[in-house]
Amino acid sequence: MFELSPEGKELVKKELARYEDKYSAIIPSLYQIQKENEGWVSPEAVDHLSELTGIPHSHINEVLKFYTMFNLKPTGKYHIQVCCNITCSMFQARELTDDLCQKLGIKEGEVSEDGRFTVSRVECLGSCDNAPAVQVNETYHDNMTPEKMDTLISELK
Amino acid sequence: MPKCTVNGIEVEVKDGATVIEAFMKTNESIAHYCWHPGLSVAGVCRMCMVEIEGNPRLQIACNTPVQDGMVVYNNSEKVKEAVEWTLKFHLINHPLDCPICDQAGECGLQEYYMSHGSYDSEMAERKVKKHKVVDLGEKVVLDTERCILCSRCVRFTDEVTKTNELGIFNRGDRSEIGTFENRPLNNKYSLNTVDICPVGALTSKDFRFRQRVWFLKSFETICQGCSAGCNVQAYYNENGFYRVKPVPNEEVNGHWMCDEGRDVYKFANKEHRLVSGIKKEDSGLSHMAPGAAAVQLREDLSDTKKAALVLTGQYTTEEYLKFVDSFTKNYGNEVYHWINNPKTFDDFDGILLRGDKNPNTVGLLRVLEGKGIKSSWADLEEKLNSGQIEHLVVAGPENLAVFPDLEEKVTLFGQAQKLTVLTPVKSKFYESADYQIPMKSFMEKDGTFVNHKGIEQKLGRGPIVVSQALTLLDLSMILDGSDFISVNSASMGGSL
Repeated sequence: MFELSPEGKELVKKELARYEDKYSAIIPSLYQIQKENEGWVSPEAVDHLSELTGIPHSHINEVLKFYTMFNLKPTGKYHIQVCCNITCSMFQARELTDDLCQKLGIKEGEVSEDGRFTVSRVECLGSCDNAPAVQVNETYHDNMTPEKMDTLISELK
Repeated sequence: MPKCTVNGIEVEVKDGATVIEAFMKTNESIAHYCWHPGLSVAGVCRMCMVEIEGNPRLQIACNTPVQDGMVVYNNSEKVKEAVEWTLKFHLINHPLDCPICDQAGECGLQEYYMSHGSYDSEMAERKVKKHKVVDLGEKVVLDTERCILCSRCVRFTDEVTKTNELGIFNRGDRSEIGTFENRPLNNKYSLNTVDICPVGALTSKDFRFRQRVWFLKSFETICQGCSAGCNVQAYYNENGFYRVKPVPNEEVNGHWMCDEGRDVYKFANKEHRLVSGIKKEDSGLSHMAPGAAAVQLREDLSDTKKAALVLTGQYTTEEYLKFVDSFTKNYGNEVYHWINNPKTFDDFDGILLRGDKNPNTVGLLRVLEGKGIKSSWADLEEKLNSGQIEHLVVAGPENLAVFPDLEEKVTLFGQAQKLTVLTPVKSKFYESADYQIPMKSFMEKDGTFVNHKGIEQKLGRGPIVVSQALTLLDLSMILDGSDFISVNSASMGGSL
């Protein structure tokens, strides 16, 4: 059974009071859950949030499934998100993703055997000036090349 | 009260009314999917486009309030073209599987396709595949490919039942209606979502694939399931009744009815009905015409010193008036009211469902009061226990499902020396009765039901299922001495 930490609950409470419509608190609350629940939002977590906020399950689920930033399956310890929008793609982001998957021996969205990595393609990270951009959990890594990627992976324990 | 002109017709509407409501008032047709008079405005289907004089852009009628002096059209070429395009967008991912779709014949897409469709798709792209035959709950099935995301069903569970089971999940052309896991659509009004679904996305498990709608005829009547008295449309053909749907009536049921009420057509069908009069004799049960059984009952009753009558709230006011009159005149003032579920009798769920599962309790009480009858059920029990009642006549229920005490009560009634049951439906509990006389169901007769508020509503007589069955009016005439059974309504209405 998932339950938010006291700080997490405090955050949800604050967000609920912050907007005139309590539905607006769904996104920040889901982010908090994702942070505390090893990188994904489980159905039990939705149950918990619904109980906490009084927002119906179906409507939390609407938000959860609309935004791709919320993961609906468990991810590895490090969630490597490669931007594959126009600019990054022009700088070989797609090839970079394929290469990365091959090296880790996984397909996009899968968790590597040691539980450390998940790779996924994402939409624009807003870092076109440093394409190709990669986001690992909440940290940005710019101007990525296959070589820089190798170093990055070896540094991530 | 603002006035406006709709396609050249001047119309006055309530303050705050929208343009689509003005269209509804003039009976001018306007295409729409997401707007529903019983729900909030969503403005998502974009079908109700109108041209407003002085406004360069087309507007949606459902979300534009009427202003005094507004001149609105929806028959101009500009509007027609816009609606045509909107329909094309709706059909991009629609499977167009009308031949196997249960909604065919009463589908919003089909209807507007006839008036606005281009008959030749300009889409070369493949359609998006989505979930088919999604089991949403006990009564409703969803086909997400047919859904046009009008959100009527979502708004229904949010605003009317407030149970919030449904939501629109995912994005763009992958969006689909669904429920959260382990939280199925199982509220007591779930089948209203099927009624308001403008396409074949939501279908009723009870009705789907059983009949093509164009083979059904219908008539308007009053639901028999509880004392709310919802107005309904009953659908039937030569094989019997198939379904009932709500008919809007602001005073009584708004636009809705409960799921329970949608099952009441079932007992009116032939397989549940008692079709002949049955008399218990030493040699066994003897079957005869209902009228003949009634004549024998009259003769039997004439030798009786102590007869009593038990009434359920399942008959019409007209029947009570005449029958109580005949009975008391001929056999004395022993008339009792059978309340089937005293504990939950006064319940109300806040929407429509009433604890009193009889359509005409108020009508019955009014008649008893008018005749000055003030008997209590305890009296009857005492008299039965002490063997004071020789012959008990029971006008039994037709909706046996709401009489959980049936077996117990019939055992109690059995203490009378003789027992007569008047009943539209057969039941194994009645086998010990001395007479069983078949009655007409509420679908087959004229009359009045009085609902819990005291509103009198007329039944609309449908087809006759058991033509030889009697009504309490027929039986009164026989008890009064007439042998002419041919007066019964079988000779008046059409029959299945």
